[in-house]
Amino acid sequence: MIHVENLCKSFDKLLVLNDINQNIEKGERVVVIGPSGSGKSTFLRCLNLLERPTSGRIWVEGEEITSKKCNINKIRCKMGMVFQHFNLFPHKSVLDNLTLAPLHIKHQSAADAKEFAMGLLERVGLTDKAYSYPAQLSGGQKQRVAIARSLAMQPHIMLFDEPTSALDPEMVGEVLDVMRNLAEEGMTMIVVTHEMGFAREVGSRVLFMDNGVIAEQGSPKDIFSNPQNPRTKQFLKITNHGGGNL
Amino acid sequence: MIGVLLTSINDIPPSGWEDGILYQIWLNLIRHDRWQLILQGLGVALQIAFFSIIIGLILGFFTALMRTSKFKALRTVAMTYVTVIRGIPMLVQLMILYFAILGPYTNLPKILIAIIAFGINSGAYTSEIFRAGILSVDYGQTEAGRSLGFSTAQTMRLIILPQAVKNALPSLGNEFILLLKETSIAGFIGVQDLTKAGDIIRSRTFSAFTPLITVAIIYLILVMTLTWLLSKLERRLRKGDTR
Repeated sequence: MIHVENLCKSFDKLLVLNDINQNIEKGERVVVIGPSGSGKSTFLRCLNLLERPTSGRIWVEGEEITSKKCNINKIRCKMGMVFQHFNLFPHKSVLDNLTLAPLHIKHQSAADAKEFAMGLLERVGLTDKAYSYPAQLSGGQKQRVAIARSLAMQPHIMLFDEPTSALDPEMVGEVLDVMRNLAEEGMTMIVVTHEMGFAREVGSRVLFMDNGVIAEQGSPKDIFSNPQNPRTKQFLKITNHGGGNL
Repeated sequence: MIGVLLTSINDIPPSGWEDGILYQIWLNLIRHDRWQLILQGLGVALQIAFFSIIIGLILGFFTALMRTSKFKALRTVAMTYVTVIRGIPMLVQLMILYFAILGPYTNLPKILIAIIAFGINSGAYTSEIFRAGILSVDYGQTEAGRSLGFSTAQTMRLIILPQAVKNALPSLGNEFILLLKETSIAGFIGVQDLTKAGDIIRSRTFSAFTPLITVAIIYLILVMTLTWLLSKLERRLRKGDTR
């Protein structure tokens, strides 16, 4: 579903991604972990070209998005993205946040867009907030709205860029619950996160990134219980998620 | 009967108005229907202000878009416009446009030339206000819009600009107020605006205080009204915020 070949990205002289190769299949739930500055977010943001790769090629559902001929806006409709800082549209109500893209990009009728959006709000448990504005919501509620906003475009792939990192601890659970449900429904997900519990439980594959490369990858069980790379071992030890003490 | 009354009030002050401030008001505003000069001047000032604000908004809007564009040529054109206009006094610009450019070669009415001059001038300042408004919107908004599949233009129109205009409104209001008062120099090219009307009366009655204070009070009322309208608009646009 997503195929990455020799992906490199540098900011000025700083090499952030160094020759990444990846293949992500439909229905996979890939969790990307690693120390900050390792290139996790940059890797994710390259997948929908929010960052332009310096070199390398990326295919999404068979189409090469790094090609000059590619209409990236069309591809992005199929790839939802959830940000660390939510980035809800503050001048729009919750409902309008959800319907904006379906109305203007897919040209859905107002009634259809609203009906679908209300269904999504029900799924994330926020029907009563449909007419509130983002500023009136808690962090956890904002992030659930942001997920629903992405889902409103009926994407085939969902990208999550540290979706719980800006949340108060007591709100992390409600967002992870929504993501868990999404995983159970078979959504292809790529999640950059520091939530190791979520990675272990929901991930079908874990990528450990360090210094711009994928240092180690495997099933959550392998990575968390039996890491091979010394850097992985060190990282998991520091974050208290290594081996036996789980 | 009324004709007789008007004629008499034009020639002699009504009883009790023979001296002091009442005499000054009669002399400067009532005698020979001088209030009509003020009223016409007010109309001219409002016309110049209104239409040049519109021109300024349109020019400023597109200049701001050009200055935030990714094409260097557009940025350079916009930057040059802003630099030249902001670097020359308004009065000099007005006189150049009238005496050197449009006046000698066209038959355009003076008031129209004034509108064009003030509009071009205001556009340069307004563009900086819009640009600041656009830059004040968090870049995450652009990323969220683009990640949903919106084009650059759609993101600008649907997501960035509504927030940018809201953020720019206090500064825009300030610019409107400055422009409204700046129109008082239109008299330099012979446009009979409000200030000129006061000045004409002063030169006929040899009394400066009453006509000039009258003009000053009218400007003050205009600006206060404008401020009130803008704050109403701002409150309406802020309905989504809880700060």
